[in-house]
Amino acid sequence: MPSLTTIPATSGAFVGDLQLPKTVKVQNLNYFFGEGELRKQALFNNNLEVRRGEIVIMTGPSGSGKTTLLTLIGTLRTTQDGSLKVLGNELQGCDRDLIVRVRRQLGFIFQAHNLFESLTAYQNVNMAAELAGLDPMIAEGRIKSLLTRLGLGERIHYKPKSLSGGQKQRVAIARGLVHKPKLILADEPTAALDEKSGREVVTLFQELARDEGCTIIMVTHDNRILDVADRIINMVDGQIKSDVAVQEASVICDFLKEIPLFDHQTPNTLAKIADQMMVQEAESGDTIIRQGDPGDLFYLIRNGTVEVRVHDGKQERTVAELKEGQYFGEAALITEEPRNATVVAKGKAIFYALEKKDFREVLERSASFEEELRQALFGRQ
Amino acid sequence: MGTGKTMKTPLAWKNIAHNRARTAIGVAGVGFAVILIFMQIGFKGAIRKTATQIYDALEFDLMLRSPAYLHLTEPRYFPRSRVFQAASLAEVAKARPFYLGLSEWQAPISHLGPTSEVLGDVEGGNAKDSDPAGQWRSIITMGTLPHDPAFKRQDICAKAAQLSDSRFVLVDSESKPEYGPVGGKEFGPADIGVETALGPHRVQIVGLFKLGTGMASNGACLTSPEGYVRACPWQTIDQVNFGLIKLRDPSTAASVRIQLQKIYGIPASISNAESFRKLDASLLTNVDVEILTRAEVNAHEERRWVDDTPLGQIFQLGVWVAIFVGIAIVYQVLSSDIANMMGEYATLKAMGYSNKYLTRVVLQQSVMLAVVGYVPSLLVSTILYEVVESASGMPMFMTWQIMLTVLLLAVVMCVVSGLGALRKLYQADPADLF
Repeated sequence: MPSLTTIPATSGAFVGDLQLPKTVKVQNLNYFFGEGELRKQALFNNNLEVRRGEIVIMTGPSGSGKTTLLTLIGTLRTTQDGSLKVLGNELQGCDRDLIVRVRRQLGFIFQAHNLFESLTAYQNVNMAAELAGLDPMIAEGRIKSLLTRLGLGERIHYKPKSLSGGQKQRVAIARGLVHKPKLILADEPTAALDEKSGREVVTLFQELARDEGCTIIMVTHDNRILDVADRIINMVDGQIKSDVAVQEASVICDFLKEIPLFDHQTPNTLAKIADQMMVQEAESGDTIIRQGDPGDLFYLIRNGTVEVRVHDGKQERTVAELKEGQYFGEAALITEEPRNATVVAKGKAIFYALEKKDFREVLERSASFEEELRQALFGRQ
Repeated sequence: MGTGKTMKTPLAWKNIAHNRARTAIGVAGVGFAVILIFMQIGFKGAIRKTATQIYDALEFDLMLRSPAYLHLTEPRYFPRSRVFQAASLAEVAKARPFYLGLSEWQAPISHLGPTSEVLGDVEGGNAKDSDPAGQWRSIITMGTLPHDPAFKRQDICAKAAQLSDSRFVLVDSESKPEYGPVGGKEFGPADIGVETALGPHRVQIVGLFKLGTGMASNGACLTSPEGYVRACPWQTIDQVNFGLIKLRDPSTAASVRIQLQKIYGIPASISNAESFRKLDASLLTNVDVEILTRAEVNAHEERRWVDDTPLGQIFQLGVWVAIFVGIAIVYQVLSSDIANMMGEYATLKAMGYSNKYLTRVVLQQSVMLAVVGYVPSLLVSTILYEVVESASGMPMFMTWQIMLTVLLLAVVMCVVSGLGALRKLYQADPADLF
């Protein structure tokens, strides 16, 4: 029987093109501040994979380590323990030249705009274009179109002194994007912006992600832009508490919604269930559950098809074929009896599995929900 | 990728041009230091110049003088016969004795009446305290043959012809007012005919010449050998201070020196004044003369004045002080500039600009400060040179060597400050930006 992995179903690690390169790959990453007695751990054994073209939003309370993780990914801090691969380069123990090379493929957008007061908006942005060795003609076109899109068309040759806070922030954003970086790291990029320019910025991000395969990781608390996220990472106390591929989570919720067992659940509860599911892989012919075994997991088919076989004492026959979005294994968990059928993968398949205790918890909560509802309706008269 | 291909944004210049107030302070600081350096070097140059001013005016390829020679105004003397011996060599065109020593000059009492009133008229009545009339002053007294003066300059030679009597003297018009010119300011045609005392005897001013004496003395006069002996009675006419040898062909100096050494009985191992001083004095008991080329004379005199006197050392030190003041000011300007732009520089680092690029920006800024500060200071210093020269009579020349040296010093000064300020820049940590 294929074993259960520790990969959460919502991480989206097993959908889409599995060959898609990882822009960022974090494995067992620890980080400490200070030395000796004062040494304090800031990151605890973090794992994370970000794919090319993904827009990732990192949230979490301040001091949760998200900025530390961001600076590590951005090569601005030296890795200490664990592995960190950015754009295919292992940063653990790498030399300065590699760091400078990696940095030139990154685009930084800091909370503080840090524009040179002595340079115009155009020249500030050009500092990044020059470093990337862009052809001056091409650079000029890009800088002008970027600044114009960000609403600074009239102020291209203004110095920061004559720009508002939001305008300066937009110049800094243009500087972070002009050289078509492969990975953009942004810290509250929209915090200083009004609704409209904030929207323009994230639209730009989306275009870069879609057209250039640019990956974007941003720390933000701005819930106006959550809709652009492909993945939402939540950090607490130096650990990634949840790492959810938004689209996959919604696919799972859609599947769960169709299951009669869960049809009373609120979207919030469904999302929680999705969060608790783990990935299980199977090759063709693998037995997922066996008739007569005690039941321990509930299965949702994410990919592939399975055959359900029942042994009636004399012979085994196939009673059903299940495919993507369908489920099995619930009966044994509800009735507390052994499995009443055997399920075999018909090809390469991926399942999302929920443990018995989590499954029962949902059912019980569902019962109390109904009870509560009855009481509420009754009390109305 | 972007290997320094076209780093066109002139960031250093933009920074300099943008922050006008701070740049002004920087330029003022550099300018102040540069002017200080110019003046110190000018003074030092003046000392060097004046140290050899009199020698420069004399005509000689080889000089005979006493091994006990100290400096211009303490030359000691040696037998005049040594000069005649030198004249016997075929290569020698001229061998002239030259007398030089310090004597006492009494500022002439004006025959126009009480001098104080005369001076008062000229200077507006406040000159009573500085009235030099009747005061005794130390003066450089030179003696040269009137019919064959040892000077290179034709104007001085022509004047020397007037020294037909041992009572006649020519006065250096560069002599200070304390020697009592009639006008109260400087010696001029009005002083011709004035009588005064030089040493124990009376003399008459019969003319003027223009030479300048620099630091050695504030005034000079020229007379005949007989006049010199009158003024300096501790010397006889047979005891000369210098023997000035002019060669038919200056390139024979080395061989003539060897011949003279033979004639004078100077050990062959002694080839110049330096080795003289190193030798055991007992070896030299019967050596009464030394032979020097013009270059050796100048080198010795310059070293004496520039390196050995406190005055020379003060100006030398002044150059260093000026450089350190400049370094301190430029360092302040650059490092506060960097401190103000830590975030920006850290951003550049995060973007992938190397420390090398940032170093270049800061050093460019330093050099620009140096150049921008230098230009006006050069103008001011040129004017100051004129002012000092006319006020003190010290010959302050703005040569292109001085300009270049000071420009170089200014650039070095600013680059050193820049390097100091860079340490701060290297600490710019892009990790602090998030």
